[in-house]
Formats: sequence, structure tokens, C-alpha cells
Amino acid sequence: MATHIVMDHSGDTRHHFDAKDFEALAKAEARFKELTGRGFTAAVRTGPGEVTRIRSFDPAAEETLFFPRLVGG
Amino acid sequence: MSLFRRAATTERSRFDCLRALYRKFRAENTREARGLRLLRDWLSPAQRAQFEAKGYFDVIGSDSGRKYRIYEGTMTNVYELDEIGRPRMGWCFVPSGYLVAGDVMLAQKIALETAESASLAVANRFLPKAAQFRVLR
Repeated sequence: MATHIVMDHSGDTRHHFDAKDFEALAKAEARFKELTGRGFTAAVRTGPGEVTRIRSFDPAAEETLFFPRLVGG
Repeated sequence: MSLFRRAATTERSRFDCLRALYRKFRAENTREARGLRLLRDWLSPAQRAQFEAKGYFDVIGSDSGRKYRIYEGTMTNVYELDEIGRPRMGWCFVPSGYLVAGDVMLAQKIALETAESASLAVANRFLPKAAQFRVLR
């Protein structure tokens, strides 16, 4: 099972999907595009504590984290 | 009478255990707790140990190689450190929306470790005050 973790006011919302299921994968890709289109940053873990930003949907990523656009505080 | 009292005591202690378990479950599932759990999952082992021990963790900027310290909090909680670990500059940038502290700190870590310059471009700077820094640890 792959997971999209979206940070939000509730802490985070998790969307689990089967990466081998074509329909689920298409939905996950649409979610990725929708979130990044709204300014969310997408990141994946590449090792313990190591993180990489991704700009296009990675169907092989087990866990993708999304956080909203950064603003000056 | 004694038997009745013992049964009542047993029943009460069972109820207390259940109540404690319920409280623990509630505490672990607040949005704040979930945010901190997510943060801990994504920190490196060294960062996690530092955060548990001191309430902050250090990250290295992806572009400059400079060191930043992220304190627990949601605002004015990021400090750039000088060569000997003193706060040189404060940087204030947060993900938009109302996010819990764990989420904010994780977003700041990822931002500095993967796109330092772009992240600081939107940040507001502030001078760290010695007194404020002592309070923060």
C-alpha cells in the first residue's frame, strides 16, 4: 500500500492506495497534480531522515508527504 | 461485607485502568500528537535524538551548507547558527494554513534541506535576542 500524507488543520490526512491498481494509481496521480497545482510541496523519504522534493508523480514512492506553500511569518 | 468491599475495590481499579487507557488513547490521537509523531518519523536518527533531549534539532541548508536550528513551535522558531553554534539570524517562515507544531517543523526541515534559498526568500528575518534565545533553550 502506498500513502499520500497531506498536512492540514487536523494534523494530516492520509490517502492509502494500491500502487498496482491502475484506477487507484490514476486517482493518486490526479491528487498529486491537484495538490502541487495549489502550491503544495511534495516530498519523499530517500533514507533515514533524508528527504527529496519531487515535482512529478512517482508511482513507486511508498510515502509522499505534501505541505502547503510557505509564507513569511 | 468484606467480600463486597473487595469486589467494589476490584471493580473501581478496573474502571480506573480503563479510564487511564482511554485518556492515553485520546492523548495519542490529538492533532498535536499526530503532528509530532509524523515529525519524529521523518527526522534522521540524530535529529530525533537531539529533539527528544533538547527540544530542537539542527538541519543543514541545501544551498549554503549553513546550519539552522529548529525549535519546537510554530513561529519565529528557526535560527541560523554561526560557526560556534550561536544564533546569527532568525528566520520566520511557515506553511500557510493552521498547522500544528510538528507539521510546521517538518515543513521547515524539508524546506531548508531541499530548497534553502527559495524558502528563505519568502521568510522574514529577525534578530535573535540573547534573552529570548535563553528562554527558548
